[in-house]
Amino acid sequence: MDWLTADRAAELGSGVLLTIVITVATSLVALPLGIVVGTIRATVTGPLRALATGYVEVFRNVPALIQIIFWAFAFPNIFSSSARQQLFFDNAVVDALKVITGLPIPYYLLAACFGLVLNTSGHLAELFRSGVASIPTQRVDGARTLGANRRQTFVSVLLPDGLRAAFPAISTRLIHNMKNTALVSFASIPDLFHQSQSAIEETFRASEFLALAALVYLALSSGMTGLLRVADRALHRGQPSLTTGDGPDRPSVLSGLGSFRPASLGES
Amino acid sequence: MSDHLAFVMKHLINLLVGFPNHRPGGLVLTMILSAVGLGLGMMLAVVIGSAQQSRYRLLRFVARGYVQIVRGVPLVLLLLLVHQILATGKLGFTTSSFTAGVVTLTLYASAYQADIIASGLRSVPAELVDDARIMGATRRQAYLRVGLPYGLRVMRPALVSQAITVIKDSSAVVVLSIADLTTTAGLVLGTSVNNAPYWVATYLAVGALYFAVAFALSRLVESWLPAVRAH
Repeated sequence: MDWLTADRAAELGSGVLLTIVITVATSLVALPLGIVVGTIRATVTGPLRALATGYVEVFRNVPALIQIIFWAFAFPNIFSSSARQQLFFDNAVVDALKVITGLPIPYYLLAACFGLVLNTSGHLAELFRSGVASIPTQRVDGARTLGANRRQTFVSVLLPDGLRAAFPAISTRLIHNMKNTALVSFASIPDLFHQSQSAIEETFRASEFLALAALVYLALSSGMTGLLRVADRALHRGQPSLTTGDGPDRPSVLSGLGSFRPASLGES
Repeated sequence: MSDHLAFVMKHLINLLVGFPNHRPGGLVLTMILSAVGLGLGMMLAVVIGSAQQSRYRLLRFVARGYVQIVRGVPLVLLLLLVHQILATGKLGFTTSSFTAGVVTLTLYASAYQADIIASGLRSVPAELVDDARIMGATRRQAYLRVGLPYGLRVMRPALVSQAITVIKDSSAVVVLSIADLTTTAGLVLGTSVNNAPYWVATYLAVGALYFAVAFALSRLVESWLPAVRAH
């Protein structure tokens, strides 16, 4: 383990921390944003809905990496060089961020996170919309008949039921978002992936550092899977138990057909 | 405005097919990489997805472990790992980074496709398999002629949208400097400060190309969906 000096470990540790911070921050922004856009697509008609549809299609169908590069390196070039300097690289907010994050150019971090948020929220909006679409119309009609207004219907029917229905898919997407944070290293942000690459450049110990990074990412994704499963269970608490999973209800009557036995329920 | 457009038009051919006197690049290479990765991945996925639903505990364990590992690591890291193993002679031979990219995309696609196939197999009604068995099919026949085709058909929309995801995610091969669409955009712009004004137009064009492919394919799937339901 001579390749993993204390200094190196500290650098990688700070990378892990940044990866976690970016994951949490982008997830916390993208999830509500996705719910709002998805709700608009599911419930509103007219130009607002067209706008939401455009949002989903564009930000979902352009790769996250392209969006990160666009916002970090291309977008500032729209402005003249003096305006650009003031807006993105040299003002009070940016200076404050420099002190807090310790990054030389904090704008890149904001831009990369912005790209990730747009991409992930586009995906989440579509997942939430199809969750809402799976709510039986009687549930919504019932709420309206009982006198709930649109807002109350949203808060007590669409939001919880839609979220419950879409949560497994949303979890998968949020984990995908965690893995996508590795792409921020292309905007020279010292996350786990970037720090591993710099370690390799300095020591030429590629196998060791790549394997280590892979193990950390694996740990992060299994940790996230566990946390999201807890959240899923919390969402379903007090709900009538529905048969989850897509396996057939009836077990095979013939013996020896184990190949079609429903697998143990859970994340697949 | 017009000079931005002129820059993009001048390099559009590079973004689409790469540079002259070079191997195919740009969007064409993105599609080749994705198609080969998805095709080989699908073959691997049928095996792994079936193993995930196997009667044998060991097969299930290995298949699920494979899926967990491949899906738990970012694609950019997976690319570097596979490249490290294949392209640097660790196995006694070396391959190009293109091969490493194709192999990685194959592994990556197969893990997601295997999961989809496994849940397709889980959705096969037990009656269907029982009927085939009663009619005298062996277990193998029941699986190959009834279970697998049913599972694949049910999961066709999911498999196609996964394919679209792989096309977009293939942009990560930039880490191996494979001259796909994303890498070509960087090459077209170069490091010259003079090209700085054209970054926006170029990346808008690149985004539009990815969008066109992904959106067209997803619309194609939607027009297939009624046909799938009719079965």
